[in-house]
Amino acid sequence: MDTLHYLGIGFGVALTPYNLLTAFCGTLIGTVVGLLPGLGPVNGVALLIPIAFALGLPPETALILLAAVYLGCEYGGRISSILLNIPGEASAVMTTLDGYPLARQGKAGVALSLSAWSSFIGGTIATVGVVLFAPLLAQWAVAFGPAEYFVLMVFAITCLAGMADNKPMKTAIAAMIGLFLSCVGIDANSGVYRFTFGSLGLADGIQFVVLVLGLFSVSEILVLLERTHHGQKAVKASGRMLFNVKEGAFVLATNLRSGVVGFVLGVLPGAGATLASAVAYMSEKRMARHDNRFGDGDLRGLAAPETANSAAACGSMVPMLTLGVPGSGTTAVMLGALTLYNITPGPMLFQNQPDIVWGLIASLFIANIMLIIMNVPMVRVFTRILSVPTWALVPAIAIITSIGVYAVHSTTFDLFLMIGIGICGYILRKLDYSLSAVLLGFILGGMMEENLRRALSLSNGELGILWGSPIALAVWGLVAVMIALPIWRAWRTRQSRNTAVADSRA
Amino acid sequence: MHDRLFAGCTLLLCLALVVVGWAYQAPFAYEPVGPRAFPLLLLALIGCAVLYQLIRPSTGQHAQAEPALDRHVGRKIALCVAALLLYATAFEWLGFIPSSVLFAVAMARLYGASTWQSLIGGVVIAVGLYLLFDFGLDVPLPLGPIAALEN
Repeated sequence: MDTLHYLGIGFGVALTPYNLLTAFCGTLIGTVVGLLPGLGPVNGVALLIPIAFALGLPPETALILLAAVYLGCEYGGRISSILLNIPGEASAVMTTLDGYPLARQGKAGVALSLSAWSSFIGGTIATVGVVLFAPLLAQWAVAFGPAEYFVLMVFAITCLAGMADNKPMKTAIAAMIGLFLSCVGIDANSGVYRFTFGSLGLADGIQFVVLVLGLFSVSEILVLLERTHHGQKAVKASGRMLFNVKEGAFVLATNLRSGVVGFVLGVLPGAGATLASAVAYMSEKRMARHDNRFGDGDLRGLAAPETANSAAACGSMVPMLTLGVPGSGTTAVMLGALTLYNITPGPMLFQNQPDIVWGLIASLFIANIMLIIMNVPMVRVFTRILSVPTWALVPAIAIITSIGVYAVHSTTFDLFLMIGIGICGYILRKLDYSLSAVLLGFILGGMMEENLRRALSLSNGELGILWGSPIALAVWGLVAVMIALPIWRAWRTRQSRNTAVADSRA
Repeated sequence: MHDRLFAGCTLLLCLALVVVGWAYQAPFAYEPVGPRAFPLLLLALIGCAVLYQLIRPSTGQHAQAEPALDRHVGRKIALCVAALLLYATAFEWLGFIPSSVLFAVAMARLYGASTWQSLIGGVVIAVGLYLLFDFGLDVPLPLGPIAALEN
């Protein structure tokens, strides 16, 4: 068994004291970042990149740190959802629906421990999935040429838009804006300066740390300003802190189903944890019998989204590692971090640098175990952090963000660029455009253009190469499905609305 | 309404960028696809999508997650942006610590702290973060005029 052998190597890497300590720090930072409103995994991971660089961490350790932070955020997001009814990050929105009612019924401790347990199951199922499927996909992906890669990225973009619930057009526009932003700067193939308008700061393109922090931190700071006073107090976590066997058994089937759903959706490029938690919640609600209390403090309604978002977080590592195509905003940032280390993720990574890949996968297991150990007994400590007032939190976030941006190039030009991007991001967000789509487009843009040009160079400008192989044709088929999906959905809602109107008239 | 305004602005911006991008041509062409094909393709796609947003019939339903802006919040947002811009200007010129103290105090006031809270909070945050990043994490930060005192 090759896989087991490599997994052994991976544990060898992940279990060195230094990497264990890194994973521990990562999970701790991740949990805190996840539970603070206004900071999600994307910002957390992006802020840590300059720090990982400054500390001179080797690539596998840096990757372990970032992955641990990512998982930690998915655990931490639930705490403020349950106690405050404010999701700490986007994928924890569904957790508020049943988590907060449970907390108000005095079952905050049970809800917190059960959701930590659910996250653990989800993370473990998905990590096993990564171990099983990532090497297979990597083997298969070696057959991909530039044309296939280009089509695959077209699929990632359409998938992003097709899976977005009710605004496919807006998501598509956002992704294309991201793609376009990646064109700014000097063109590597011809040396032409594109869209720099004579600015030296833009000559080597928009730095992705600047883009991420502008889009997510600055716009979030402005959004927090709108909501400064909610007047909401955290519910005290008191009473029984641990769920009992009966409650655990009650949600076990939900956990297993949602874990699989989360993993599958996480693997799809562009779908991510937010969608996974929504789908898991909705399908559990539909499957439950009529005496359910969903929305009113049902334990299954708490377990489903929590399991799914952790599973999706792990699952989104699969396309990032095997294909070099990120599955979510956060993995897009991790991909950016890898390229800063001059590592190109993709199928060859499994052959050339197995210690990095398998070290990362093994550390996902370890981070999961650390998180469950940390989250059950230490939950009271974490809830303390929720009482930090906004007026202290926001300046700190803003300053840390500025340091992170300044550390990349040591120029204030990047600070101004970040603020400009942040204002644009805020406007986009107010208009209901998806910011993760912009980010994913930005990360995919460079690779997409390069693969397109490489493919057309191979064929001497003949466009036929783009649909010349069976793989490319199959992926084009998937693209067609993804474009048809929102159109079909819109048609169906119109149909049902028409029948409803007809019924009310009759 | 706002959607259409945004779509219109984006369309104009796309057109302007097409004009700028049209001129990008490689002095020596080694490959069939030059530097301007991909961005122009994207601009065309964005343009079409935005045009669709501009002319499509209004659905009439508004399910927006974000609350609408009023004058009061708008003023606060403008102040916050101004604070960020001033901070970026002062970052190297004043040095990290003084500029961060001023910025943190201003931001804390904006987010509803009292005078004393903001003063103490600002100093603690700025100095604490300086110590953490410069000494703890080895991220070099500009000292500004304070650097002269060190020698």
